[in-house]
Amino acid sequence: MNIFLLLVYGVVNLVFVVLVSPLFISLIKKVKARAQRRQGPPILQTYRNLVKLLKKETVYSENSSWIMRATPLVNLAAILTASLFVPLLVVPEPTDLIGNIILFLYLLALAKFFMALAGLDAGSVFGGMGSSREMAILALFEPVIIVVFAALAFAYKTVNIPDIFRGALASNVLVNPVMILIAASIFIVIIVESARIPVDNPETHLELTMVHEAMILEQSGKNLAMLELSSAMKQTLLMGVLINTLIPWGLATDFSAPAILFSLALFLVKAVVLAVAIGLFESSCAKYRLFRLPGLFAFALFLSIITLIIEVFA
Amino acid sequence: MLQALFPYSVALFFVGSILPLLADKPNESKLLRQAALACTAVASLLILALSIETIFSSQIYNLLIYQITPQFQFSFQIDKLAAYFLGLVTVVSIAVSIYSFQYIEHYSDERRKNLTVSLMGCFILSMILVIASFSMFSFLFFWELMALFSFLLVMVDHEKKETRKAGMFYFVMTHLSTLFLLFAFLFIYVQTGTLNILAVRADPLITSIAFVFLFLGFGIKAGIIPFHKWLPYAHSTSRSNISALMSGVMIKVAIYGLVRYILLLPLQTWWGMLILSMGTVTAVLGVIYALKEHDIKRLLAYHSIENIGIILIGVGLYIIFTLSGLQAVAFLALAGALFHTLNHAIFKSLLFMASGSLVNATGTRNIEEMGGLIKRMPKTALLFLIGAVSISALPPFNGFVSELMIFQAFMQSFALANPFLELLLIIALAIFALVSALAAACFVKAFGITFLALPRSHEAKEAKEPPKLMLLGPAVLALMCALLGVFSTQIFSLFGYTLPLPNMLFIGVVLAGFYAFAFLAMREVANRKERIAETWGCGILSQNAKMAYTASGFSEPIVTILKGIFRTQKKCEHTFHDPKNAVFKEGKAEIHLLNFFEERLYLPVAEFVQRVSSKIDKIQRGDVDLHVACAFVTIVISLLIIWWFG
Amino acid sequence: MIIAPTENILQILVVLVLATAAIIITKRDIRSLIKTYALQSLLLAVMALVLFVVTGSLTLLCLAAIILVSKVWIIPLFMGQVYKKLNIKRDTQFHFLSPITALFVSIFIILFVYLSFSTLLSELSRFNPNLFFLGATVGVSILFMGMIVIFSRKQTLTNIVGYLTMENGVVLFSLSLTELPLLIEFLIILDLIMLTLIATILAFGIDSTIEEFHAQLNPFAYSKDGKSQKTLEDER
Repeated sequence: MNIFLLLVYGVVNLVFVVLVSPLFISLIKKVKARAQRRQGPPILQTYRNLVKLLKKETVYSENSSWIMRATPLVNLAAILTASLFVPLLVVPEPTDLIGNIILFLYLLALAKFFMALAGLDAGSVFGGMGSSREMAILALFEPVIIVVFAALAFAYKTVNIPDIFRGALASNVLVNPVMILIAASIFIVIIVESARIPVDNPETHLELTMVHEAMILEQSGKNLAMLELSSAMKQTLLMGVLINTLIPWGLATDFSAPAILFSLALFLVKAVVLAVAIGLFESSCAKYRLFRLPGLFAFALFLSIITLIIEVFA
Repeated sequence: MLQALFPYSVALFFVGSILPLLADKPNESKLLRQAALACTAVASLLILALSIETIFSSQIYNLLIYQITPQFQFSFQIDKLAAYFLGLVTVVSIAVSIYSFQYIEHYSDERRKNLTVSLMGCFILSMILVIASFSMFSFLFFWELMALFSFLLVMVDHEKKETRKAGMFYFVMTHLSTLFLLFAFLFIYVQTGTLNILAVRADPLITSIAFVFLFLGFGIKAGIIPFHKWLPYAHSTSRSNISALMSGVMIKVAIYGLVRYILLLPLQTWWGMLILSMGTVTAVLGVIYALKEHDIKRLLAYHSIENIGIILIGVGLYIIFTLSGLQAVAFLALAGALFHTLNHAIFKSLLFMASGSLVNATGTRNIEEMGGLIKRMPKTALLFLIGAVSISALPPFNGFVSELMIFQAFMQSFALANPFLELLLIIALAIFALVSALAAACFVKAFGITFLALPRSHEAKEAKEPPKLMLLGPAVLALMCALLGVFSTQIFSLFGYTLPLPNMLFIGVVLAGFYAFAFLAMREVANRKERIAETWGCGILSQNAKMAYTASGFSEPIVTILKGIFRTQKKCEHTFHDPKNAVFKEGKAEIHLLNFFEERLYLPVAEFVQRVSSKIDKIQRGDVDLHVACAFVTIVISLLIIWWFG
Repeated sequence: MIIAPTENILQILVVLVLATAAIIITKRDIRSLIKTYALQSLLLAVMALVLFVVTGSLTLLCLAAIILVSKVWIIPLFMGQVYKKLNIKRDTQFHFLSPITALFVSIFIILFVYLSFSTLLSELSRFNPNLFFLGATVGVSILFMGMIVIFSRKQTLTNIVGYLTMENGVVLFSLSLTELPLLIEFLIILDLIMLTLIATILAFGIDSTIEEFHAQLNPFAYSKDGKSQKTLEDER
């Protein structure tokens, strides 16, 4: 195991995720706007928003404590660590240091835990409401996520994400019914984790309809920039999981520059298609009432358990 | 070498227990109490050192104290498993002793303080002797002593009605557990002919019956559903240092017994399925009941039930995988369960001690009357946060590592032959994930409502940080949480086990590195100006504590979604003045919380026992002569039987 | 023989049919129920077509044609007509099983069906055992899921969709295991029964539950109000 190569992989993956995540956020917004026959914001708008937020001053509530100040940093640190676990462009050699599925999922949970605490910190109603709903959704959706990733682990006989991608590269996955089911389940996971319609509306600030936005309502300035970037990165990572398990061709396995560039181009194409699909899916349905969500989650759990049963029994 | 110190530590415990009882005058008694607690701490430290040495050197230590007959002997043996649990008990007892130095002073009268300290010493000693026992006779003897001392400790505040009820409930349940254990030991004795704890090779039916009795006996003590009801009562009404000991350590002694005896008996698959299912049910119902609680100690008690469920899931997996031939995965599951036992002991005691400081400072156990304490009690808040993050299984702390081991055991289990077993595993995995996420949700509520936002009552506004030793005890445990989590791979390899786990030290360093990197990057790149302003409240004039979310409000979505389990019945009755039901006259609204197990299981059984015993009661008419005559007749008949069959 | 990609395509189709059955159990909107049923029938028709391409048996082509015409086009059209006359557009009352519990019960049903089939039917499949096992299991499971829809819902139109789902399950099962010509006769008869049922309902005019249907037949069996009230409680 070459430490230098691992370092190169880490840097490449991190920089790529940080740079490309805001692009997908704007792309989905653009697709949704177009579906509503509007122009929509330009593709590079999210980058401009982040820079603008960095320039603003940070306002803290007088009721808040060090939790409010630490949460964006903890969040960003957790998501940055998690981004080492999902190879987007190039798959490193098998190593035990990074890539454990459960560790990946629980790093995302660590980020959410602190965000929920920060929501309660300012003592406002919106924050409490956001935290409460967010924790309810997280709690009920966790079985689905774990069972979906368990199905992935069963299919490729490993709990290491880079090894799963290697296994996907080596086999002909597209016409395998199990992988189609898993892909559908991972798509639902992306929708829930990145707080998209029908679970939550990422563009609203009405108290009836916001969950994720409510938790970060009190944040401002650089803190808000960090939180928005983390959410964008989380979405990109999950999109990467879906793409690299369903259509992994083009993923580089060696560290040569042409392979990585080719993989980058191909990944961008696939991710743009997926982002457009997410946008169209969001435009095609309305946000569910909070108490209708368990029905949606039960359906996702049904699909994942059927996947596991088919894998185990066939 | 250190093992020879075992009798001396036991003697030191004795000394520590007797000292406070010798006190006469008040100033003298405080000194004696502190000396007693110091003895307890030092003795625990000795046993901790001893147990670490035993695990390293794998030398088994034997000691025979007193032998009544070859069958009934007080003998002790410390092997690796016993040493591990001894280490667990002693670490927690050191921390609790340090904490109790100043916590005891909050009790009401001197006699009670002395009694508590002395009983604490006895209690810890009895637990240590249970774990170290080699013969079932001494195991049961010290088990009963442990039950007795813990009952006395629960009843310290016996003027309060709820304490009396909790104590009696606990007393009855613990004797039920002893009864089952007695039956189990009798079965094993009949098969093996010896009361020593050795491997049993016997007829599957007999071992199955023994297993069922063992499981029931240890399960009642550990708090498996449906035998769990005594746990919230006992752990919430007793004082916090006692709750820390009971919840952190005593239920682990039950787990020790379960693991020890199960490893002796020849395993069968249905045992594993039973333990796995009961563990899953316990875990999920424990955490779901915890979601509704607003009494911080009852909340922690229900979480203990949930974690016992998780440990049982690991043990059940071990049995199933061993019998299916997946040795490595079975070992991973058992190691996860045992590591979780240690972790839970540490962070649960930490949380109980921190909540003891909270209850002392605010005078209430209800978290809806606290709030904003992070500014007034920052160190306690930090300790509670570390406990909360550990129990929610978040990296890189220790709770995460043990749950990771159990998750990995689930995910590597794709070679089982029996389809039903596989389905059971899939369902258990889904429910286990649900448990883990609900625990995190519950602790966001517990930490957030207690410490964040504005103080909700006058006492919360006036709360003060507890004295130093009350912080040092929990701080030791908090440090252990962090160290056990971050250095987990190193610790495992130090003790000679190579497990396929990610290196948490690397993850911890990476996380800290990214945190520092983000902090510095923001300082360079972003605007540094900061301003303190009022919380945005959509235009209201002033922000007060009533605006913040309450605990019931926080858990309301989950409670509503899971309302089938809570069975809260809302009844509304209206009467109207007119036949068209337009003018409201009066009405009645009722919210009835169904205490499911209490009303459907415990009370009917108790009433049945009451009826049967009142019928039998009629036989005793209080006539002494009749009783002596009955005894006489019984003895004559026994003599006749002995003559006839002898 | 069947080549691997075809087998995979058939497996995907069977799994998609199962997913549509799960959607039918949980959906409340009647219009989308009808559309989902049409989609399910379309998937079955495509399956029959693929099998025809592989084996060349003309009966399969006829079957695909019949399914396309009757189940994907005519019956949903009819049901659309009935739907237009309805006042109630959603079916939100669940009788015995809430949708979530129904989904979990169906998982158990699928498992039990699989287990009983693996002991009973291992000799009877004609082709590759794995694929047709899956088809047979899913077929019978959809039969049961249709039954769940029938007893757990109150609206008549939903009950009809449930019954049609049962019929689809039978079709899927037969596609996997039995002789075909008999199947076509069977299907035509079933479709005729279904059309008659729908026509009867069109004549009566339903926009209510079964109890109210009885109430309309026996107007004096109900108490003082005369007309029973429509309740539109949303399921929580």
